[in-house]
Amino acid sequence: MSAPKQRDDTPAVVLENVSKSFGSHTVLDGVNLTIPRGTICVMLGPSGTGKSVLLRCLVGLLRPDTGRVLVFGENVAELDEKRARDRDRLFAVRRRFGMLFQDGALFDDMSVFDNVAFPMRLHTKMREDEIREKVRDRLARVGVAHAEDKFPSELSGGMRKRVAFARAIAIDPDIVLCDEPSSGLDPVMSATLDELILELHRTLGMTFIIISHDTAEARMVAQYIGMLANGKLVTFGPADQVFAENHPALEQFFTRQTVGPIKVV
Amino acid sequence: MSGPDEGLIASVERSLTKLVDFVRFVGLALRVQFTRVPPRDVFITQFVDAGWGSLALLTMLTAFAGLNLSVQSYASFERFGGQDLLGMFAGVGGVRELYPVMAAVVCGARIGANLAASLANMRISEQIEALEVMAVDPLDYLISPRLWAVTLALPLLCGYADVVGIAASYAGAVYQLDLDAGSFMTQIQEQVGLVDIGAGMLKGLIMGWLVAVIACFHGYSVSKRDGADGVGISTNLAIVHGAVTCIVVNLFLSWLIYG
Repeated sequence: MSAPKQRDDTPAVVLENVSKSFGSHTVLDGVNLTIPRGTICVMLGPSGTGKSVLLRCLVGLLRPDTGRVLVFGENVAELDEKRARDRDRLFAVRRRFGMLFQDGALFDDMSVFDNVAFPMRLHTKMREDEIREKVRDRLARVGVAHAEDKFPSELSGGMRKRVAFARAIAIDPDIVLCDEPSSGLDPVMSATLDELILELHRTLGMTFIIISHDTAEARMVAQYIGMLANGKLVTFGPADQVFAENHPALEQFFTRQTVGPIKVV
Repeated sequence: MSGPDEGLIASVERSLTKLVDFVRFVGLALRVQFTRVPPRDVFITQFVDAGWGSLALLTMLTAFAGLNLSVQSYASFERFGGQDLLGMFAGVGGVRELYPVMAAVVCGARIGANLAASLANMRISEQIEALEVMAVDPLDYLISPRLWAVTLALPLLCGYADVVGIAASYAGAVYQLDLDAGSFMTQIQEQVGLVDIGAGMLKGLIMGWLVAVIACFHGYSVSKRDGADGVGISTNLAIVHGAVTCIVVNLFLSWLIYG
């Protein structure tokens, strides 16, 4: 088991006035936030409000039109993957991330074992026996140790998510991004995944940024909460503070009201 | 009347945009193919799939094509007593034109469909994005080994098709049409040189690269929102564009080599 990472004051992620549009549609409009290291941050918001776009901006898959995206001080927004010099810097930033995709995004042609071993073989100098040991540790943590020889097509939705989780934390990333971890899962499996996030956060000390519209999940795991609505970050801060403030958009979201600041498109 | 015109203009614009995207993709593909070493495991898997995986299909098709070449040419040559030319016709026609084109078009369709479908599926299921997030350049990891694998496998398939096709023509000529085995082989030896076999394999090399780059482009350029339809369309386009390109390019290559 790895020791929890040392904490320091440098924020894991800082967004400064980040905007992103697709054609005439503004998806992110002047977003500012700071996510401290080693915290669990849940970004809430209705579908189509730019939550996934936000995640993709963090790893440089999308470049914002304006603003800065600082990941451990490196401005990802100014890095252009097409330029060789920027590419190396961008890849160095990406190696600090693990990402759990909404549908897992496991490699179909690889077994569960090879999926989890993939980033280790790629980015570390570990020997094969060390890789085997670590993959088994990761699979055991997410409760799918018995499935290491199976292929993704042989797994249930919940198992795929858990294997994807194991892959996301395979090389002890500094930040784990989770895109709708509970979508498509039954409530029990969702709760199991949330417990897993808490357990991994407790034991490995990683920063988690979770995109979700699951309010129960937010209440269970969040240390920081942000709410995106209509392209704007309407509220953000420590979970206790945000819940105490009870912003009308957050209230509408948590109480499932159709009338309120969140417009149903 | 403006409706159809606007539709036509939009269609032309889409085609031009796609063409520009393809040219850009070819540039990127050439750069990664010749400046970075492809991952060995992926290359071997793709090479085996493209080569070994095509053998059964190619054997069956070239065997029947070789037999047919004998039967058809015999029927034509018999009219003026030129049956002895059958060996030359089956050899030259097969090795220079028929077998390389068959290997490129048929195996190309099979291989191209596989490439396009698997890449498109990886795109819509976010596997390519997962690679990017893991700091892996998908062009390095996915495209380069596929291009090398098909480019190197197809000339070998062309050579194999030559052997099977000529053997089938021989079997047809000698065992079915009762022609003299010695005469058939002499014609082959005299008329089909290493240059012809090499030219056929060169055609395979060029058409293999084209089939691969076209298929990779169609598969890779699918977007997540295209969904399952996108996989089907990209596969279809990879087969059609690959086959048409092979036929056209074969003509130009024949002009260049033999013209």
